[in-house]
Amino acid sequence: MKLRILLADDHEIVRRGLRALLEKHEGWEVCGEASDGREAIEKALQLNPDVVIVDIGMPNLNGLDTTRQLLQHDPHFKVIVLTITDSDQVIREALDAGARGFVLKSDAARDLVSAVEALQNKRMFFTPRVNDLVLAGFLEKGHTVSRNEAPKLPTLTAREREITQLLAEGNSSKEVASLLNLSTKTVETHRSNIMRKLSFHSIRDLVVYAIKNNLIQIELPPPPPKTPVGPTAA
Amino acid sequence: MTIRILLVDDHPVVRQGLKTLLEGRSGWEVIGEASDGAEALEKAKNLNPDVMVLDVTMPKMNGLEACRLLRRQAPELEILFVTQHDSPQMMREALDAGARGYVVKSNAARDLLEAVEAVSQHRVFTALNGRDAAGLR
Repeated sequence: MKLRILLADDHEIVRRGLRALLEKHEGWEVCGEASDGREAIEKALQLNPDVVIVDIGMPNLNGLDTTRQLLQHDPHFKVIVLTITDSDQVIREALDAGARGFVLKSDAARDLVSAVEALQNKRMFFTPRVNDLVLAGFLEKGHTVSRNEAPKLPTLTAREREITQLLAEGNSSKEVASLLNLSTKTVETHRSNIMRKLSFHSIRDLVVYAIKNNLIQIELPPPPPKTPVGPTAA
Repeated sequence: MTIRILLVDDHPVVRQGLKTLLEGRSGWEVIGEASDGAEALEKAKNLNPDVMVLDVTMPKMNGLEACRLLRRQAPELEILFVTQHDSPQMMREALDAGARGYVVKSNAARDLLEAVEAVSQHRVFTALNGRDAAGLR
């Protein structure tokens, strides 16, 4: 029986690349695709895939929260997260969320097949850097949290995190309410609680927080050129 | 019509997706791949593609820099940016750098083929989304 894989990434071009990569492997099939976290959860519950591959940086519901929610529904789901960054914080959160695989997008062509194979054999897979980090953690003090870290997410509830992401993505409270099937008043209440808990004064604070805490992942534009390239045309 | 295409993106998975899409067209061939701007310049010189599909954000040398240098190195080469950056400003910079086309990665599956066709015929093709790279409005 084929190993069934669900792909969740907001870029169709990436999903095509992943599909091409995975379907070369005999015995594996991509049984479905999703372009955001909510759709991923819906399809996972519907299709019951053997492995779910989830991009961390998806709009509406990011990959880490998708992983948490999926595993809350059913702890037997096996999730591999794909990410463009491998910061300590992202790694820790992926592990805390219950991911069994962690692959850098830039290395996906090399590592993803190995990751799925590992999960197929009931093992976990992390990129080498993650292994180094985990090992370093064990050798040093055995504890992971340093005092200088950014505020930890557990101070927000799961619902508050969802709302923070949607607000940071530019949705109004009314739009958030519609997306989450809540009343605007409920969303406004959550919003006030979030702002109060984290001592935010403006939506900008919220956006910065969302970026720092990987609720949204962004690629920064390249810096402007340092020196003019060649003589300028007259 | 034959079009020889060089793909430049630092993510092999993205290159694979682009390749799968492009090679569906009869006569279109992906003749090479590169993962940063410097490699793009080298491969353009050696392989002489008709069209280069180029990402903006890459290590070692980003796409905009590569584009500017390529304009001098290979003036007949047409450059199409396929990028996360869904911003009019970035698009203007890209076109100023000498690109003929600019499409956003989130719509690449929809826009790529038309874009490559257009730029290969020296027509400008641009398509933005109205949202920036993080999905912010």
